[in-house]
Amino acid sequence: MSILLPIPVVQLLQLVTIAGAAPGVSGVIARAEARLQGRRGPRVLQPYYDLAKLFRKEALAPEGASWVFLAAPVAAATCYLTVPLLIPVLTTYPLPLGYMGDILGGGFILALASFLVAVAALETGSPYAQLGASRAKTFAAITEPVVLFVVFTVALLTGTDLPYALAATVRSSAGQIIRPAHVLAAAALFMVILSETARIPVETHTGTNEFGMIEEARPFEHSGPYFALLRWGSAAKQLILYTILINVFVAPWGLAATRQAGAVLVAMIALPAKACVLGAVVAVIDSSFAKLRLFKITEFASAAFLLAVLGVFTLYLGGG
Amino acid sequence: MLPVQAPGVYAGGANVIAVLILLVEFGMFRQALLRDQVRLYASQSALIAVLAVLVGAVRHLPELYVLAAATVALKVVAIPLVLRRLLRETGPAGAPAAGADIAGSGGLGLASTVLIAIVVAAFGFFAAGALPISRSAAPVTALSVSLSVVLVAFVLMIQRQDVASQAIGLFSLENGISLAALVVAASLPLILEVALLFDLLLAVVVFGLLIRMHIGRAESLSTADLTSLRG
Repeated sequence: MSILLPIPVVQLLQLVTIAGAAPGVSGVIARAEARLQGRRGPRVLQPYYDLAKLFRKEALAPEGASWVFLAAPVAAATCYLTVPLLIPVLTTYPLPLGYMGDILGGGFILALASFLVAVAALETGSPYAQLGASRAKTFAAITEPVVLFVVFTVALLTGTDLPYALAATVRSSAGQIIRPAHVLAAAALFMVILSETARIPVETHTGTNEFGMIEEARPFEHSGPYFALLRWGSAAKQLILYTILINVFVAPWGLAATRQAGAVLVAMIALPAKACVLGAVVAVIDSSFAKLRLFKITEFASAAFLLAVLGVFTLYLGGG
Repeated sequence: MLPVQAPGVYAGGANVIAVLILLVEFGMFRQALLRDQVRLYASQSALIAVLAVLVGAVRHLPELYVLAAATVALKVVAIPLVLRRLLRETGPAGAPAAGADIAGSGGLGLASTVLIAIVVAAFGFFAAGALPISRSAAPVTALSVSLSVVLVAFVLMIQRQDVASQAIGLFSLENGISLAALVVAASLPLILEVALLFDLLLAVVVFGLLIRMHIGRAESLSTADLTSLRG
C-alpha cells in the first residue's frame, strides 16, 4: 500500500486512536485484573457498552448548580482530546500541531481538565464529590515536583522539551536507553502515572468505599451523557499518559515514519497493543500490593521524587 | 542548550547498577522489620557482585570474578546468616527475636527523612563532581553515587535509634566503599580486597557481640537508654 495520507488526516487519526481505544484499554485492564484475582471479570468491550448506555440516559443536575456543572465535562473532554495532538501517538516525525506545546504544555492542559472537573464537583455541594476533588488537587500538587524533574531530565537529555525529540533520542542508540537518567525518569513517570490514573497503591480503581476515593469520587453527582463524557475522559487521560510513557520513554518503536496509509495503520494497532501490555503490568501491580493509607501517599510521592531527582543529579555528573 | 552525551552501554550499565545500590540504601529507611533490612543488605551486596562481574568482563580483569565470588559468599550469604543467628540467639529473656520490629526507631517521618537524605546525597554527588577526575579514567557518575551511598548510610545510622539498623548502616557504608573501589581502582590487588572483606567480617563479629550485650543489658534494640549514661 502506498497511499499517502494528507497530514491533517494523520493528525485527526491521532485523536481517533486515543478516543476510540481508550475505553478498550480500560476494559482489558479490568479483565486482566479480574483474571489475576480468580474472577471471570467483565467483557473487554464492557466500557463501550457502559458509555453507550450512559449516553442514552437523561441528565440531572443538583439543585442550585450553575451552568459550570454541565459545561465542565464537555470542556474537560475537549482538553483530553487536545493533548493527543501534542504527543507522538502515531508518527516518529513531528506533526504541525505538535509544536503548539511541549511536555509542560500538555501537562498544563491535563491540569486544566482536572481543575474543571474539580470546580464542577464543588458546584454540586455533595460532600463526597468535594472530598474527592480536594484530595485530587492535594495529591496532584505533591506529584507536581516529580513531573517537573522528569521534564528537567528530558530537557537535559535532548536540549529541548518536545516529546518527539526524546523519542528520537531513545531510538538513536542503546546507550541512550541504559543510561541511569533515562531509566530513573521513566520509573518516576510510571509512578506518577499510577497515582494520576487512580491505581493501587494510591487508590482502588473499582472500589465502592468512598473514604478511600480520590479521583473516582469527583463525578459522583454527574449523570447521563455528562457522566459518560467524564468516564470517557478519564479513560482517555489514562491512555494519553500511557502513550507518553510508551511512545516517548519506554518503547518508541512501531510508529509510522512516513505518511503511508499502511504504516499509519500499523501504528494505530501497535499503540493500543503496547498500552494493553503496560495495562497488564499495572493489573499485576494492582493485584499484588495493598492500597496505601491516605497519609502514606506522601511516602509514595517522595519515592517517585527521589527517582526523578537522582536522574537529574546523574546527568550533571559524567553524563549519567 | 546542547544535549548531554550518552555515556555508552558499559558506563551506562555500571551507572545503573550504582544507582540501584543507592536506591537500596534509600529503601532501608522504609523497612520496618530487621529481617527485611538484612535482606536488603544482602541484595545490595549482590548488586556489588554483579557490578564486579561486569567490570571484570569489560576490562578483562579475571581476578574480579574471584572478588565477586568472595563478595557473594561473604556478604550475601555469611554476614546475613551470622546477623540473623546472633539476633535469634538473644533468646529466652524476653528479648526481641530476629523479626524484631524496628519501625518506631526513626526519629523523623519517612518522607522528611528521604528529603534530608536526598539533600545529603546531592552534597555527595557534587562533592565528587568537583574532584578533578577525567571522565576517561573512571565512570564519574558511579564514583559520585558511591560517595552518596556512604553519606546516606550515615543518615541511616544517625536517624535510626536501634543497634541493629546502625550496624547494618555501617555494613552498607562499606558497600559504598567497595563500589568506589570497583569503579576507581578495579585492578587493585586481589589480596587487598580480600583483606578488606575479612576486615568486614571482623566488624560483623564485633558488632554482633555488641548487639547481644546491649540486648542482654537493656532488653531492647533501642539505644535511647544509653543517653542516661552521659556524665
